[in-house]
Amino acid sequence: MYRHALRAGLLIASLAWAPGMVAAHDGHAHGSPQPAPSTGYAYPLARPGTYALPAIKRAAGGSVLDEQGHRRDLADILRGRITVLAFIYTRCGDVCPTASMQLAALRDIAGRDLRGADRLQLISMSFDPDHDTPTVMAEHARQWRDGGRGPRWLFVTAPDRERLAPILSAYGQSVMPQPGPPGGPNLLAHILRVFLVDRSGMVRNIYSIDFLDPQLVLNDVRTLLLQEGRSPAPEARLR
Amino acid sequence: MPAHMLGRTALPLFVACAVVAFGASDTRADETCQSPYMPKITGEEEFVYVWTLGIKGLGDGFDKVVTIDVRKDSPTFGKVVDVDSVGGRHEAHHGGFTDDRRHFWVAGLSDSKIFIFDVATDPSNPKLVKTIDDFTEKSGGIVGPHGAYALPGRVMISGLSNTARDGRTGLVEYSNEGEYIATHWMPTAESTQGAEVEKIADGYGYDARVLPRKNVMLTSSFTGFDNYMRPLGELVQDAEAMKRFGQTMVLWDFHARKPKKVFHVPGVPLEVRWAWGPHNNYAFTSTALTSKLWLVYEDAGTWKAKEVADIGDPSKLPLPVDISLSADDRMLFVDTFMDGMTRVFDVSDPHKPKQIYEKKIGSQVNMVSQSWDGRRVYFTSSLLANWDKTGSDDEQFLKAYHWTGSELTPRFEIDFRAEKLGRPHLMRFGSASLYTN
Repeated sequence: MYRHALRAGLLIASLAWAPGMVAAHDGHAHGSPQPAPSTGYAYPLARPGTYALPAIKRAAGGSVLDEQGHRRDLADILRGRITVLAFIYTRCGDVCPTASMQLAALRDIAGRDLRGADRLQLISMSFDPDHDTPTVMAEHARQWRDGGRGPRWLFVTAPDRERLAPILSAYGQSVMPQPGPPGGPNLLAHILRVFLVDRSGMVRNIYSIDFLDPQLVLNDVRTLLLQEGRSPAPEARLR
Repeated sequence: MPAHMLGRTALPLFVACAVVAFGASDTRADETCQSPYMPKITGEEEFVYVWTLGIKGLGDGFDKVVTIDVRKDSPTFGKVVDVDSVGGRHEAHHGGFTDDRRHFWVAGLSDSKIFIFDVATDPSNPKLVKTIDDFTEKSGGIVGPHGAYALPGRVMISGLSNTARDGRTGLVEYSNEGEYIATHWMPTAESTQGAEVEKIADGYGYDARVLPRKNVMLTSSFTGFDNYMRPLGELVQDAEAMKRFGQTMVLWDFHARKPKKVFHVPGVPLEVRWAWGPHNNYAFTSTALTSKLWLVYEDAGTWKAKEVADIGDPSKLPLPVDISLSADDRMLFVDTFMDGMTRVFDVSDPHKPKQIYEKKIGSQVNMVSQSWDGRRVYFTSSLLANWDKTGSDDEQFLKAYHWTGSELTPRFEIDFRAEKLGRPHLMRFGSASLYTN
């Protein structure tokens, strides 16, 4: 066990975290504006490999569009790598930017510290296909990914709502229209869920904003890599 | 953090979004005894779902989810608007919502069945969509599924006992889809699982609650199947059986699901309520047999447990059961079953609770749920089928009150016997606004 550092980015997140943002999405709202959490993610973490990450369910596939507009099956993208998959939308007013910031931090740490970083990938998938076209996602990727280094980070969207619906249903990601600010676009109410998927396509952890700590997620990734090292490759087990 | 991790426009965007979100925040209401992972209801609650234990010969005699309309302008305000029997009696007790609040899980302590209701499609008319009837087999021998606590995409179910019926138990995780994931056994003297033990690790279980920002989960302890299914009058005469009650609370590393410390909390600590304030790193519980309020708190990085107040006169065994902490962490409602009282403690200083109010709710009272704004409070009467009082004292009701901050004033009540419904136990709130916005 060790105590990991409270990063500067998390201080920023805490500032923005305080009042309504988590209120709308993650259940930490308590009726009125609250001071920021006192400690951020400053709690001890168990060492990688000392705990279990039991399979929760199979990670679903489905038709998605990459940043170039090419149609792909999400299941194909997931296959062969450990994946951290976040459902977001680019116009999100609260937790999605926090999630993207944490994924950026994860990518940065993994790029520097993780042996086998090429076996990890990040995916940000939009649930707002009306607005988040491949072009928009490419621009979003430019903001969050480009200029950094680390494991690959894909930004995908759905071709349309019809093809999006079964994906969201399979992941249990509920999304509801929500009136935006006067004169502005409607927003989408959602609970932030980020999924850790192993190389065989099984969901091994689900993070809310509370536990989307880059170091914690990286420990989970390391735990999966350690398990893979002790057993046949997942692909081989499936045969 | 390297600058590139925020992206060239990310930080301004981030701050701007936070401002928008702040402005959008409005009045919220919800019961305060819920998982922090769930969305909250905007405005007042519209429905109260009551998990109700059937009484043989009364109505259909089955366990059921009873839906009560609490929309203040509704023509059916204060009335039962839907009844969903699950068939048979299962010792209906506790339950809870999934983290997306779309499904309501309720469980039976006698045959370990779990019933999953869809409350999102029509919040006024819950529908049973799945029954889990292999909980004991899947969990590796746990019986008596108790709470259902929302985690991201998952539900944590605290068990009360095992197939030997002696009370050793654990926590069982399911996916929101109702598929078994894992079992985490409570630490025992034989298997402490690496936990620091203050005095004893007894292996009993009851409630489980998480304080996410500290990555800790706190569990409490009750008793085994042979005790909780036995008539109370008979049980209390059995000195050996009375020794088989929980006297521990366990602090867990929540992320790793590993017990870290076993506190000695004698007298059956039941409901766990974490404070809500972002700097309030503490939880309350009440002990049923010793009638004490206990505080579990972090002190300079170390977690400790201590008793902080008596509840009523412990020598009279008032039997504290449910507690409810207000959203501002200032008021704690404490129900005591035997005298049918609710007591309100000022817990502004959690180390020095002071009783400020008491009221007799009925001949017996068990659960208490309050709205997020603290203005509405609901009570139900039943504890366990074989522990409820008998004769005219066996009142079965839901009573709703306004809480002024210093007094409870009646809103409405429903006689569950007159309505031929049964023994009302757990309450949870619903609202169409959760799903339509």
